[in-house]
Amino acid sequence: MSITSPAISANTTASPSSAPEIASVLVVTQASLSLVAGLSAIPFGIVEPGFRVLSVVTILVAIAMFWLARNLRRQGRWARRWVTALEAISLAASLLLMVLPIGAVRGPVPVLVNLMMPAAVLWLLWTRSGRTAFRKPAPSDARGAA
Amino acid sequence: MYDIAAEHATAIGATIVLVVSLWLALRAFSALARRRVTWALSLVETYRATSGIRKLAGILMLVSGVIHLALIPSHEGITGVLFVIDGLGFIVLGAAAFVTSWWRRPAVLWLWATIVAYVIWIIAGWETPDQVGIACKLIELVALGLVLRLGPPGRRTRPRRLWRAVAFPTLVSVATIGIWIGGLAHPDSLHAHAGALLQPVAEVATPGQRDAAARLLGDTRASIARYRDPAAAIAAGFKPGPVSSADPLRHFVNPANAKAILDPSHPQALVYAQTNHGLRLIGAMYQMPRAGQWGPDPGGPLTQWHQHEGICFSPFGFEFSFETPFWTCPVGSTGVTTPPMLHVWIIDNGKEGPFAADLDKTVQKQLQGS
Repeated sequence: MSITSPAISANTTASPSSAPEIASVLVVTQASLSLVAGLSAIPFGIVEPGFRVLSVVTILVAIAMFWLARNLRRQGRWARRWVTALEAISLAASLLLMVLPIGAVRGPVPVLVNLMMPAAVLWLLWTRSGRTAFRKPAPSDARGAA
Repeated sequence: MYDIAAEHATAIGATIVLVVSLWLALRAFSALARRRVTWALSLVETYRATSGIRKLAGILMLVSGVIHLALIPSHEGITGVLFVIDGLGFIVLGAAAFVTSWWRRPAVLWLWATIVAYVIWIIAGWETPDQVGIACKLIELVALGLVLRLGPPGRRTRPRRLWRAVAFPTLVSVATIGIWIGGLAHPDSLHAHAGALLQPVAEVATPGQRDAAARLLGDTRASIARYRDPAAAIAAGFKPGPVSSADPLRHFVNPANAKAILDPSHPQALVYAQTNHGLRLIGAMYQMPRAGQWGPDPGGPLTQWHQHEGICFSPFGFEFSFETPFWTCPVGSTGVTTPPMLHVWIIDNGKEGPFAADLDKTVQKQLQGS
């Protein structure tokens, strides 16, 4: 006799792997935070020409991340490759900054945002269930490759 | 905003205890399930049957609940009562995510209401944002994003699809901006201005401290007089800082003096103002070797050190902006926290005084026009 309740049975009807869904939520959160960082640098760009460029680049990266998150959810393999590259660069840069004596990573918020979230996305995309989820070519692959 | 309030530190310990306890409990239940203990088997089966996205949402709500409960002793009045309700609500919903089908809508409402309430509390000045509170909001935002993904597809009309696409990013952005506005609008007594944290000191200087402060000013003025000509400073090992269009002050730093502690004959930097007649020496800057290491303050509240934090530094053009409350900076720049510093202004610095963190705005304008 099964001891599983109807509610539990309902849970099992979810997608075979949640990895792409969870990864896409994390990437959307990161993109939203980047968008605010980019927008907030615009006033500084009035007097600092360097930040004028950096704010535009940041906003474009944030928009690209929203797009990648959407395609991660659709299990696009090209999106997985791009997100992996972006998160790996982000994580490597954060680890490098952490060892420098500039106080770039100090406390729970920067650890969560700059280390744990990129590491979690990479783990989700490369763990066994993540790899399985992206094994079959998704409809978005044809569009992404085109 | 960029620090951890001492009374909030217990929440970090409580979170670690919760995560370790959940992991140990799962291991223990798995061991009992292998021995065919019925209730343990039921629990483990329930856990394994739950989808990953639902598991994570449930665990994140449990974490938020425990953080709220751990913070009750440091919150009085209505805020404390709300923390009790919020903490218990999150624990019930976190557990319900594993065993019920009705939990999703209440969870969306609970998470949304908690995040919005926090932003309102911060903007109203009823709560001071710190890293524990902000980290808790990040956990709740991610949990909300996950719960929203579990929603039924519904009718796929264009407005509905657009709403589903923008609702969550909008809430993340509004929460970030709200926390930021509240944090900047209600700085605590240790924040001179955005990005500068002041050394905690007594409110009133003693006569001895007034004398010591005057002595420090006199010694510094006498010691750096020889560097009125920037060429003399460069010859003595001071390296000119980069020119910034946003900052008319230029710091000449001497790396050889890095280890000196408040030594008037070996200041870490000289400060020059860019005037119409070239650079004019206006002060010195003492700096400690490491961030968080406050220097000696012989003048008590008169010689209060300050540390810059929450700053985004861009090496492209040596420019600065502010870090968001979630410690994010524009691409190509990085958050920095400087070691504590103490300026000694050898010119009349108006109402700000000779040891202020910043040059008086009126004085600065006069210098730029001179």
